[in-house]
Amino acid sequence: MNRLRPMQRPASFTRPALASLMMLICLALGCSTHAKRLATPRSLFYDGRLEECRTSLVKLEKSRHDKDVVNLDLAIVDLLSGKPKEAETRLKAARDRFEELESTSLTEKTVSMWTDDQVRSYAGEDYEKILIRAFLSLSNLLHDGSDAESYTLQLQEKHESIAQRIGEAEPTKPHAYRPLPLGFYMRGMLREATLRDYDDAVRNYEIASSLLPDCIPLQWDLNRAKGGVHSQPGNGVIYVFALVGRGPYKVEVTEQPTSDALLIADRIVSAAGPYKVPPTIAPIKIPDIAVPPSDISSVGVSVNGARIGETHIIADVEDLAVESYRATRNTIVARAIARRVIKKATVAAAKQSMNTEGLSSVGMDLAGIAWEATEGADTRCWGLLPNAIQVLRVEAPKGQAYVELTPLLRGRPVGSSKPVQVHMIDGRNSYVLCWFPDARSTSQVITCTNGLSSSAVPPMSIGSAR
Amino acid sequence: MDRREWLAGLGTLMVAASAGCKGYQYGHVINPDAPNLVGSHEAGAEVFDPLVDEAVAKLLARQQIVTADTPIGPDGEPLPKTICFVGIENKSAEDIGDFKDQLYQQIDSRLLEANSFRSISRRMVDAALYETRLRPDSLMIPDNMRLFTAVLERQGAPIDYLLYAVLTSGTTTRNSSKQRDYDLTLELVNVHTGLADKQTAEVRKGYHKSAMGKVWNYNPFKR
Repeated sequence: MNRLRPMQRPASFTRPALASLMMLICLALGCSTHAKRLATPRSLFYDGRLEECRTSLVKLEKSRHDKDVVNLDLAIVDLLSGKPKEAETRLKAARDRFEELESTSLTEKTVSMWTDDQVRSYAGEDYEKILIRAFLSLSNLLHDGSDAESYTLQLQEKHESIAQRIGEAEPTKPHAYRPLPLGFYMRGMLREATLRDYDDAVRNYEIASSLLPDCIPLQWDLNRAKGGVHSQPGNGVIYVFALVGRGPYKVEVTEQPTSDALLIADRIVSAAGPYKVPPTIAPIKIPDIAVPPSDISSVGVSVNGARIGETHIIADVEDLAVESYRATRNTIVARAIARRVIKKATVAAAKQSMNTEGLSSVGMDLAGIAWEATEGADTRCWGLLPNAIQVLRVEAPKGQAYVELTPLLRGRPVGSSKPVQVHMIDGRNSYVLCWFPDARSTSQVITCTNGLSSSAVPPMSIGSAR
Repeated sequence: MDRREWLAGLGTLMVAASAGCKGYQYGHVINPDAPNLVGSHEAGAEVFDPLVDEAVAKLLARQQIVTADTPIGPDGEPLPKTICFVGIENKSAEDIGDFKDQLYQQIDSRLLEANSFRSISRRMVDAALYETRLRPDSLMIPDNMRLFTAVLERQGAPIDYLLYAVLTSGTTTRNSSKQRDYDLTLELVNVHTGLADKQTAEVRKGYHKSAMGKVWNYNPFKR
């Protein structure tokens, strides 16, 4: 094939300089990572300075690419500040936004190959999508409970769609998707509270207990739903939801590409042109999961002076984050390699088309190196989640109940107790939400009593204690 | 192909890519006479609507037969029977999610439309269950039934019958195809005599992994 050779023109310094400048503009997009930007709000959050944390997060919210994920962190701050209604509004916005982003934008995908994954809109991990609906239900229960059942239905629908998608993508793996027990537990809890739909409660508790076979309290729930009643006449039920420990978050690490990742990257690059991925490639930056150490394992619950028991895990956020990361790690590494190859090829092609030589060629090389070096890993994630969500169900006589919550490490108290007063209604559920990022936590405890859809129910009451 | 062509290719790809957009969602109102969507993985309106129609129609047809024991009003017409629709039990292989409450309301409304039944409010049923703390499935125990009907009477809603709806399913599998038979059973129990009447409606549905599954498994030449 005959090709027209480009006309030889005198080398000019202006065009390569312009090209270098354009590259520098591109690379400016990926200088800092979300993990670094979130460091200050995280530390304020764990110090219990929620208002300062909110102010700091609101500043981050202005960035287009961080907006959605910061909204999730703000929802947690709202919820733990005793503003469940505001938290619900934020979570609804995040839910709708992530739904919208489920089909990826080709434009963003293409642009990210010249910059980094941080320019893509954050569509959320699967476990985050499930947790959004669980927190929506919890937030709603903590203010009026009118939509809590709908949120648990949405949660189940999401479970089904994720399981279906993963099942279709990996038909050889029979159990490629492990659902979150929290959703089934909450659905069972709400159906049991109708005092009528015990069959639904059984169905949901059965799924939750099959996912957590060693959890004895779940077996109690299942047995009660099968043959017992929600509560004895004159008694109500308290559900203590405890957000325990500091949750996992993503950090940037330098990684040597694996052969699996190189294979996937080769497919990506081959799809865009005639080039192949070189057999070796310099280390690349990718996100990894960091799990902060925890000095608390559960929360001890006492009611009216009697020690009832300790909370048990119903959602292990750490496990979910690590598992979810493992499943996508090779693809993340492959995208980073493909991006590296495309950037190198772009610089080489630009140099060839402009016939650069001498100083201008060195300048373009340097700009190319800087372009690659300033690439950042996409460390966006729901950063203010706890390490685990735990729960304990307690049946207690109607009227005022004095509840004490004590942080425990392997069954032993490691911090001071938080007292809270809960108004118990005959035959109805009351909810307590407490947050123990560590043993010395000074956070609020949020309580709410609501009677769901019953006509014979007194108005809801919300209280908080420090 | 040299690097410039490769770059041009990538540029074209970018332009083409700009046509791709994120997943927006659209909605529309469905005409009442339009057919229902057929669920690909589980039962939906296409199964439950005919089940309710058929089961309620069968029950009403049977209950409209006047016998010597049927109480007659001053106008010579049979008096409507007061029923307490306790609820729906889902014993099928699928979780019916938000259909459960809808099915309850559909059955309750259809029964009310017929003059042969007078149904008491669900809120009253819930209040009686709340007060007695009885499980719906334990009302057949004589003591429990007496207690439950006594509470309803005290609320000003004496009843003649308890109505239960039970959804069940049976699954037949043949390689990658599956047939699921959905049954809705309406069970009417006379609280005074303990006698029961029962009517069942059935809808069968096939699920296939391939588009040809229906033709392959359900054709006139297949036994």
